[in-house]
Amino acid sequence: MSIPGYSYKFSHEHLLSIEDLSRLDIEHILDLSEEFAEATRAGKRPEPHLKNMTVINLFFENSTRTMSSFEIAARRLGADVIAMPVAQSSVKKGETLIDTAMTLNAMAPDAIVIRHSASGGVKLLSRKVDCAVINAGDGTHQHPTQGLLDTLTIRRAKGRIEGLKVTICGDILHSRVARSTTLALHLLGAEVTLCGPATLLPSGTEHWGAARTTHHFDEAIEGADVVMMLRLQMERMNGGYLPSQREYFRNFGLTKERLSRAAPDVTVMHPGPMNRGIEIESAIADGEHSVITQQVEMGVAVREAVLKLLAGRRV
Amino acid sequence: MSRTLITNARLLCPAAGLDEPGSLLIENGEIATIGDVSGAAETTIDAQGLCLAPGLIDLRVKTGEPGAEQRETLETASRAAVSGGVTTMVVMPDTNPVIDDVALVQFIANRGRETSKTRVYPAAALTMGLKGEAMSEIGLMQGSGAVFFTNGDWPVADTSVLRRTMAYAASCDVMVASRADTHALSARGVMNSGARAARMGLTGLPREAEWIGLARDLLLAEATGCRLLVDQVSTGRSLDMIRDARERGVEVYVSVAAHHLFFNETDVGDYLTYCKVNPPFRSEEDRQALIEGLAAGEIDAVVSAHDPQPPEEKRLPFGEAAFGAAGLETVLSALLALVQDERLGLLDALRSVTAAPASLIGVPQGRLAAGLPADLILFDPEKPWFCERENLLSRSVNSPFDGRRMVGRVMHTLVGGETVFQR
Repeated sequence: MSIPGYSYKFSHEHLLSIEDLSRLDIEHILDLSEEFAEATRAGKRPEPHLKNMTVINLFFENSTRTMSSFEIAARRLGADVIAMPVAQSSVKKGETLIDTAMTLNAMAPDAIVIRHSASGGVKLLSRKVDCAVINAGDGTHQHPTQGLLDTLTIRRAKGRIEGLKVTICGDILHSRVARSTTLALHLLGAEVTLCGPATLLPSGTEHWGAARTTHHFDEAIEGADVVMMLRLQMERMNGGYLPSQREYFRNFGLTKERLSRAAPDVTVMHPGPMNRGIEIESAIADGEHSVITQQVEMGVAVREAVLKLLAGRRV
Repeated sequence: MSRTLITNARLLCPAAGLDEPGSLLIENGEIATIGDVSGAAETTIDAQGLCLAPGLIDLRVKTGEPGAEQRETLETASRAAVSGGVTTMVVMPDTNPVIDDVALVQFIANRGRETSKTRVYPAAALTMGLKGEAMSEIGLMQGSGAVFFTNGDWPVADTSVLRRTMAYAASCDVMVASRADTHALSARGVMNSGARAARMGLTGLPREAEWIGLARDLLLAEATGCRLLVDQVSTGRSLDMIRDARERGVEVYVSVAAHHLFFNETDVGDYLTYCKVNPPFRSEEDRQALIEGLAAGEIDAVVSAHDPQPPEEKRLPFGEAAFGAAGLETVLSALLALVQDERLGLLDALRSVTAAPASLIGVPQGRLAAGLPADLILFDPEKPWFCERENLLSRSVNSPFDGRRMVGRVMHTLVGGETVFQR
């Protein structure tokens, strides 16, 4: 923030949705994340910003990657991390989300990281606690740290976001990643195209910042600077939303041939876990254009930044 | 002989087109004289210029009695009702047990008489257990006081069952109320389909589910000659379909829930579960079309769609929370807001909650005329107030109006000439 006389302060209590953030907020988080990423690459430990703090990981849905990423980020900053997988918690015994929130709140954590299967579930919980709440995915609504890490990965690969043509392809309807990433990129000036079969591409995506939508991948990928493939749940491909895996791959799979329609220096992304051979050819996932592992790396950096900004802020 | 005289009132009777200052004399629970009345009475109420109108007749009230009394009983609902000006409640059969039997119809009528401050009429189940499989004893329950027949919130899915049941109902000359819906399209939905639901990551309740269900119900009403009450329309296009059916001579009536005249889908805001109702709040265009339909006389009755839900059913993520809104205390104010906005005439607003629903269920109240039950309200059509859940009288306070500024307030309610509420 180099404007003279201008002072910026990150003023949010929680991170629930990209919708709550301004362009400045996002750029601030990305800048800070980048510092963490560089420090890690240089083999340096960051300052223990979260020393003596407690972070609770409350995951109502199974997740290995996101939960580990948050845990590593919090530990790097010196926090004590308590993981509460739902299978062992009282939620299975019929306790409501609000009761769970009030119970955990009484233990006075400094931040709670939550993933919940209901859209809006994390927001509901945040109203009942006094500490920072970080949404690690709520239903089919938002996954803000994913949106931020995707944006950071692109910014590092391309040096900018403004003016980039980004194509996101797959199950848009059920994707919280698409909702978060599309909006974050839009706020930073990218031109996002959403692509998917008619059954999995909802109306009104212009409200999340999409510049256009199409059911034709070949058209969507033309000249794209970035192509992001989304995971497709296997159970959606048995005739309910799509006739078959092979028909999906033919129309929406990322192949070498298709990729040649994109810009020559195209960047290929996937939020994982991948269905190789269904969404994306293995050779592309592992190839020179792919930044899929960098996405995971930036995930930790973004979560370090978010935890540093939010943990310990009493609401 | 007991006589109560209400003086200095603005008399409002939509059935007679009456809107003029005057007095009204009650004798033995009935309206005796209207207009320029003088003479001796045991009790005299000086209305101080307030509006005097027939009490409201609400064709769609759910309580928890029997089976879920923690939500609401007939008694607690009636306390809310009279404070909102409702003096007659028609209660839905979706209770536990379902009201699908003569004894249960009588039970509701008796409990209403014993415990409720309002008059209570049961609507009975159209099919046994509301399962949509076997028709209920429509003729016998009609004889026991059921005012119409409905499958409540679970419209009959099997079209051949519905066809036979409507044909049979037509032969008994009873009215069938049906919510226009197509279960297969709306089973998983939680709010209006569209851009907003998609952005919020919520499963939609598509308008098409209402239209397909409505088309079916209208065609079956036409084929069987059954009198049909379309329960709670929520879209403008539904009114077009109903207009078309009426032109073809189908005897079809329409109700709309007061909250659908007041809210649209954006009021769901940040996953506010008090705004989770079914049919859902639709688009602003739909809301406007419903208001225009009401003003044009295409909508017969406005209902509260009172559906009390306790906190444990509402303090949940939006997708998991129960549908339903408490409405008895806000139905009149919702209408008076439209009168204030000059969208609706005062008498037209009142007709939709008095004379029109009265004639649909064939009860004498709902008009100001000599010899009719003195179910009356005195209200101030401009009095502002705050709707706050802490102050609601219903046992469950899940009102979408919570926190809103309202206009128009009931000051005094009489049922059968007796004061049952005074503010």
